[in-house]
Amino acid sequence: MPRIVDARMELGDVTVHNLKQLKKLNAVILPVAYSDKFYTDVLELGNLAKLAYYNDVVVGGVCCRIDHEGDKRKLYIMTLGCLAAYRRHGVGTMLFNHVMKIAKEDGNIDCIFLHVQVSNDEAITFYKKFGFEIVGKKENYYKRIDPPDAFILQKEMKTSNGSEESEQNTSK
Amino acid sequence: MAANSQKLPQKESGIFKKVVRSYECKQYKNGLKFAKQILSNPKHSDHGETLAMKGLILNCIGKKDDAYDCVRRGLKNDLTSHVCWHVYGLLQRSDKKYDEAIKAYRNALKHDKENVQILRDLSLLQVQMRDMDGFCDTRYQLLKVRPAQRSSWVGYALAYHMNNDFEMALKVMGEYRKTQAPPQKLPDYEFSEMILYEVQLLMESGAYKDALKFLEDFRHYVSDMLAYAEIKGDILLRDKRFEEAELIFHDLIHRNPENLMYYQKLEECLNITSDENRMELYRVLKEEFPRSHVCRKVPLGFLKGPAFRDMIDQYLRPPLHKGVPSLWIGLKALYENKEKAQVIEELVLLYEKNLQSCNKFHPEDPDPMEPPSAILWVWFFLAQHFDRCGDHRRALEYIDKSIDHTPTHIELYMLKSKIYKHAGDLEEAALWMDEARSMDTADRFVNCKCVKYLLRVNKIDRAIETAGLFTREGMPPLQTMDDMQCMWFQKELARAYWRSGQYGEALVKYHEIDKHFDDIIEDQFDFHTYCMRKMTLRPYVGVLRLEDRIRGHRFYFDSAHDIIELYLYLYDNPDAKRAKDAPIAEEIEQDLSHLSESERRKIKRKQRKALAKAKEKAAEQEKEKEKENKPRHDDDRKAATDENKIKFNPKELLNVEDPLNEANKFLKPLQSMCTGNIRTHLLAYAIHSRRRKYLLMLQSLKRAFSCDPENPTLHCYIVDYVLTLEKERPELPDPVHTVIDDCIPRLTDGGKSPDELNQSFIAKHSNSLEHLVAAAQVLYKLHPDYRTKAIAMVTNLSDSLIDRSLRTCRNVHKFLSSGFLGDCSDELASYSSQCHALFPFASSFKPPVEAGKELESSPASPGDAPPCVGVAGRSPAAQKES
Ligand SMILES: CC(C)(COP(=O)(O)OP(=O)(O)OC[C@H]1O[C@@H](n2cnc3c(N)ncnc32)[C@H](O)[C@@H]1OP(=O)(O)O)[C@@H](O)C(=O)NCCC(=O)NCCS
Repeated sequence: MPRIVDARMELGDVTVHNLKQLKKLNAVILPVAYSDKFYTDVLELGNLAKLAYYNDVVVGGVCCRIDHEGDKRKLYIMTLGCLAAYRRHGVGTMLFNHVMKIAKEDGNIDCIFLHVQVSNDEAITFYKKFGFEIVGKKENYYKRIDPPDAFILQKEMKTSNGSEESEQNTSK
Repeated sequence: MAANSQKLPQKESGIFKKVVRSYECKQYKNGLKFAKQILSNPKHSDHGETLAMKGLILNCIGKKDDAYDCVRRGLKNDLTSHVCWHVYGLLQRSDKKYDEAIKAYRNALKHDKENVQILRDLSLLQVQMRDMDGFCDTRYQLLKVRPAQRSSWVGYALAYHMNNDFEMALKVMGEYRKTQAPPQKLPDYEFSEMILYEVQLLMESGAYKDALKFLEDFRHYVSDMLAYAEIKGDILLRDKRFEEAELIFHDLIHRNPENLMYYQKLEECLNITSDENRMELYRVLKEEFPRSHVCRKVPLGFLKGPAFRDMIDQYLRPPLHKGVPSLWIGLKALYENKEKAQVIEELVLLYEKNLQSCNKFHPEDPDPMEPPSAILWVWFFLAQHFDRCGDHRRALEYIDKSIDHTPTHIELYMLKSKIYKHAGDLEEAALWMDEARSMDTADRFVNCKCVKYLLRVNKIDRAIETAGLFTREGMPPLQTMDDMQCMWFQKELARAYWRSGQYGEALVKYHEIDKHFDDIIEDQFDFHTYCMRKMTLRPYVGVLRLEDRIRGHRFYFDSAHDIIELYLYLYDNPDAKRAKDAPIAEEIEQDLSHLSESERRKIKRKQRKALAKAKEKAAEQEKEKEKENKPRHDDDRKAATDENKIKFNPKELLNVEDPLNEANKFLKPLQSMCTGNIRTHLLAYAIHSRRRKYLLMLQSLKRAFSCDPENPTLHCYIVDYVLTLEKERPELPDPVHTVIDDCIPRLTDGGKSPDELNQSFIAKHSNSLEHLVAAAQVLYKLHPDYRTKAIAMVTNLSDSLIDRSLRTCRNVHKFLSSGFLGDCSDELASYSSQCHALFPFASSFKPPVEAGKELESSPASPGDAPPCVGVAGRSPAAQKES
C-alpha cells in the first residue's frame, strides 16, 4: 500500500495529562479491557510506553515491560496497536522500531515476545514480517473472547553467532 | 500660632532631617524614633512638620487612624507649612481621595511655589483626574522651575495636546527640539519617538502635508521603520498620491503578507471597483506571495457563482489534506451568504463521497492518495457546517462518525459539546466538554471551556473545582480568578449564582468585575511618569484615550447590564432576598430526603466537618495573606491598595437601601460610553420608570428611538409611556407638559394612539417573532379580551418567520409561563411539543418524561416578567453569546 508522502508521524510520551487518550485508544483497538491499575502502572514505564501521532493526532500506542525468567531478560509487548482507519501506513512499524531500539540499546535483552489471539492474522503477519516466530500456544489465555487461545510470538535478540539483526523498515 | 514657635533649634532641626531621610529610605522604625526625640521635648511637642512626618510614616505601616490624627494636628499647628499640606495631600491620595489631595497640594504650593516634588505630585493627580487645565498650568510651572529637563518640555506639550491645542503643543515641541543637537549615534530610539510624536500632532491637527514634510525631513532619525512606512502611506493615500502610496503598501505587504489592512489600502490606491479587477489583483498578488493566507481568503468574500466554487475548492483541499482544525471557523463569515453556504455544502459532501470511493477529493486529481485523516477532517468540517445551518441532527451524525473514526482527538469532543449547546441541551454539552477536558488535563483552553459549560448548568462547585486545577496552588480558586481579573469567569459565575437564586453572591461577582475597571484606571499611575521620562508618548496618548473609554468595553457593558437587571428584579421582588438566604442548606435538606435517618445523620456529620474544615482553611489563608502583605512597604501605593482591597459582602449588597440607586450607578458609565447601544437606553427607561421620572423616561425613549425605532422592547416602552402619561398627566407641572408634547409625536408616528401604533407595528413586522411577542403584550394590555389572539400571535411557528430560532422560541415559552397572559398551561403543552419537533435536542421543549434532567431555572431567573408592565428585560441566559 502506498504511503502518504507528506504525513507527519512521530512518537510522544504517555503522561498523567494524556493518559485518557491511551485508554480510549486501547478500548477500540484491543479485544480485552485493561484495569485502572494497568494504566496507573503505565505512567511508571517511561520509554516503554509511547503514543504514536499521525498528523498531530494520537492514532496508536505501545506498552511493554521487561520480564525476568531465571537469568534471562525478556521484553514483553503488553499492547501495541493502531486505530483501524490508520493501519497500513507505517504506524505499527514506527512503534515496533521503537521497541527494537530499546531492546538494542539495552544490549542485554534475550528476546522480545507477546501474546496474540490465534485468529489475529493481521497481527501475526505484521510480526512475522519482523522476524517473529510462533513458539507456543496458550489454551484459554483469554477469558471473555472467542477464540480464547493465544499464540506466543517471539523474536530472538541474541542469535547463536552473536550478531544482532538490524532494524527493519517495511516501507517500500 | 506664631510661626517662630514652629521653628526648631539647630539640634532638633538636624534630627528632623533624619526623620525625613528615614522616611525616604523606608526605615520607618528609625523615623518614628527620631520623631519621638523631637516631640518628647515639651517645647516641641506640637511641632507641626514633625507631627506630619510622623503621621506619614504611621500611614506607611498601616496605622491609618493614628496617621490621620498626627497629620491633622500637625497641620493645625502649622497651616503655613508646605510640608504639612503636602503630607496631608499624600495621605488623601493614598486613600484615593484625589480631589482632596489636589486641594492639599495646591495649598502646599501657596507656601512653596517652586517645590518640584509637590508640582510633580500635583501634575500626576491632575492628569489622572483629567483636570487638563490644571495639568497644563502645573506643567508650565514645572517647566519654569526645571527648564533643563526634557520631561518638563514634553509634559508641557502633552498637556496642550490633551487639551486639543495642537498649535501650542507643536510650538513647545519645536522649541525644545531646537535646543537639542540631533543625535550623533543612531539609532536613537527616544529621539525617533519624539519626531514621530510631532508627526502625530501634525496629523491630528489635520496638517497632513506638513506632517509628511516633517517626516521626510527627519526620516534619517526615525528608527521605527514600520511606523514610518504606515504613516507615510496613509498620508500619501489621503493626499491622493496613489502611485507613491501603492509602492509603500506593496512594500508593507512584503513585510507582512498577512495584514489585511495593507491589502485594503492597496486596493484603494489602485482605485479598484469591479470584482474582475479585484480578482486580477489578487491573482497577481497570490503569485507574488504564494504563502499568504490573506491572498487566498479575501477573494472568497467577493467572488460569486462558478468563480467562487473554483476558489473555495482550491482553498479547502490543502487544509483538509493536512488537518487544520480551525479551517471552518475561518470561513464562518461566508455563511452570511446562503448561496455560498450551499456551494460549500455540495462541495464538501462531494469530497466525502470521493474519499470513500477512491480516497481522493476529486477522482481526476493527479495528486496521490489522501491520508486516512482526510475523511476525518471532512466529517469534522461537515459537522460544523450543519451545526451552523441549524441542522443539529446531521451535525451530530457527522461528529459521531468522526469520533468513531478517531476517538482520541479532543477537538471532536469539544465540537460535539458545542453542537449540543447550540441545539439547546446544556447538560449534555457540559458532559462532553468535561470528557474533552479529561483527555488532556494540561490544556488550559479546554479547561476554561469546561468551567464555562459547567457554570451554564449551574454546577457551581464542580466548576470552581475544575477551574482550581489551573489556579495557583494554596489559594482558593475564586481568589486567584479575581486577582487575575478573569472577567469571563466572574460573569458566568455571577449568572450561575443568579439562576440558582443566590442573588447576593451574584452581586458580589458583578461588583468584583466593576472593581477591575477601577483598578485598570488606577493602573494608569504607573504610566504617567514612566512614559514621559522614556519618551514613549504615542503609546501613552493611546493609553490615556483608552482609559477614558474603558467602561465602554463589552465586558463592562455585559456585567453592568446584568447587574442593573438584577437590581431591578430585587426592587420588583423585595421578598426574593429572604427566600434564598440559605439556598445551600435547603438543597442539602432536599437531597437527603430519600435516605434513611441514620444515613442522613452520617452525611450531615460529614458535611459539617467539611464545612468546619473549609472555614478553618479559609481563615488560615486569610492570615497567611495578611502576613504576606505586612512586610511589604516598598511601594506605599501598592501596600495601601492591598489594604483598601474591598471585600464585598453578599448580605450587605443584597440588603441595600435602594436597589434603583445602585442600578443607576452602573447605568451612568453606559450612558456616557455606550450611547450607540440601544440596550443602554432601554435599561435607563426601566430604571426611571420605576422612579417615575417622566422626563428622564422620555429622554431614554428618545435616545433609544434614535438607535433603532423598530426595536420590540422600545415599542412596548413607548406604549407604556403613553398609557402612564394618560393617568399621571394632571399631576405634572406645566413645563413638563410642554416638553412631553414636543417629543411625543416623533415617538408615536405623529401622535398615533397606542392601538394604532400597535396595529401598524404588527403589519410591519408580521414575520418577526420577536416583534410579534412585543405586539402581543401590547395588544393584551390594551384589550384583555383579545387574549386568544395574543396567544395565537406568539405561538406562531410558521416557516415564513425570519427569526424562528431556539432562542426566540424559548423566550416565547418563558413569556407564556410567566403568567402575563394568565394561565396558559394547555397552550404551553402544545407549543412545547411543536417546538420539540423543531428543536428535538433542546431540553426546554423535551416532554416531561424526558425532561428529568432539564435545567431547573429558579423562579427568579430574570426575563420571566413581561417587558411591558414590569419593564424587565431579557434574562442573561437568553442573550448569551453562543
Ligand atoms: C498489527 C498492527 C499494529 C499493524 O499496524 P499497522 O500500522 O497497520 O502496521 P504497518 O503499516 O507498519 O505495517 C507494516 C507491515 O506489516 C504487514 N501487515 C500489517 N497489517 C497487515 C495486514 N492486515 N495484512 C497483511 N499484511 C499486513 C505489511 O507487510 C505491512 O507493510 P505494508 O503495509 O508496506 O505491506 C495493527 O493491525 C493493529 O493495531 N492491530 C490490532 C491490535 C493488535 O492486534 N495488536 C497485536 C497484539 S499486541
